[in-house]
Amino acid sequence: MDIKEYIQSGIIEQYVLGLATAEEAAELEQLRIQYPELNDAIISFEKNFEEHLLLNSIQPPANIKSLIEKELFADTSKTKIVETSLASKTSTPNINAWRWLAAACIILLIGSTALNFYFYSGYKNSRHDYEALLTERNTLQANNVSYKQSLEMFQDTSMMHVQMKGMPGKEENIATVLWDKRSKDVYIYTAEMQQTPTGKQYQLWAIVDGKPVDAGVINNCTGVCKMKRIDHAQAFAITLEKEGGSAKPTLNDMYVMGKVS
Amino acid sequence: MPEKISYNESKLVQMLKQRTAAAFSYLYDNYSGALYSVILSVVQDNELANDVLQEVFIKIWRQIEQYNPDKGRLFTWLVNISRNASIDTLRSKSYHSQKQNRELNETVYSAAGATNIETDKIGLRKIVNNLKEDYKVLVELAYFQGYTQDEISKALNIPLGTVKTRLRSALIQLKEFFKK
Repeated sequence: MDIKEYIQSGIIEQYVLGLATAEEAAELEQLRIQYPELNDAIISFEKNFEEHLLLNSIQPPANIKSLIEKELFADTSKTKIVETSLASKTSTPNINAWRWLAAACIILLIGSTALNFYFYSGYKNSRHDYEALLTERNTLQANNVSYKQSLEMFQDTSMMHVQMKGMPGKEENIATVLWDKRSKDVYIYTAEMQQTPTGKQYQLWAIVDGKPVDAGVINNCTGVCKMKRIDHAQAFAITLEKEGGSAKPTLNDMYVMGKVS
Repeated sequence: MPEKISYNESKLVQMLKQRTAAAFSYLYDNYSGALYSVILSVVQDNELANDVLQEVFIKIWRQIEQYNPDKGRLFTWLVNISRNASIDTLRSKSYHSQKQNRELNETVYSAAGATNIETDKIGLRKIVNNLKEDYKVLVELAYFQGYTQDEISKALNIPLGTVKTRLRSALIQLKEFFKK
């Protein structure tokens, strides 16, 4: 089998677009295990196709998401009507009375089941709301503690403040380095920085004798984030880097910089 | 500084299997636009596309166990569900509103002469429109209307082998447009 020819035959496109026959698909699935280059070519076309469609997205009407969520997350447990089998063969003279009694019982039972169900779903909803509130409260409380600690740090007189101002074209960004003179620990406060694009992270650099030294990537933290310890530096700066950070700063993506006074 | 989270496919699939609300939200936010454009390309009607989109997400949610990563990427699976659901909707709709047995020939002619300016600009149709006329008809029938190659061969009165090779050539050309 000439695998190159096969790859270029159009079968990959046919398969990915869902236009291959069952036999063609089975053959391709078999061959992709044997030939890594075929497998790569398939994935590469899938990614191409995906990229194109994502770029050419059309936003659906805004209400659709909540409609689907309602459908997916609504309580779907259904009442099961309990079947009661009644011994109807007992031949008593007043069988009619028994029938009426049985009917009344069934109606009562159904009513009671429905009420139970109604109350139970009410209970479940409240419970759900309560848990959501509880989680929210815990998050708020945790944030509150972080903010309080941050405020204390800002007030601490042994903390050196290095304010970093936005570079030309990025003036709206501001960040502050808090540098503990005793322990040399470095903290960063970045609430005034614009959001990073997907796949990118800010990275802090200490400028030591004219050379950038990595002071760590800035993760999403509440209040101030603790960074790497820096013994001495003349300035600090933040650049936008790929996720996980870089060994050297991308200088044309420098957002803010500030000198140590 | 809230970061935008992004998950890789296997992580997302794992989350979807756990059926968390966050997984749904992520899936919807990231893929609804692309899938909606596929659906619109097929059904060419906003109202209908809205219904199909809902159906598609419910299907994805309920059938995520059936997704097999050995057969392709998650996104490919999502697109194929969208396309199939769109075609099924169109068929059940025309089944109800038209004659019980559709005459394929009729659709072929309307497809070949389909120069509806509005719909030709939607999503994938925009690209398909760059193809030459006899390729366009094949892609229209196969991709947008879901006819098998055998059905196309009979309807257009072209040998099956020719349909096969022509469709593949059409798709190879399409691929070049995706790269742009």
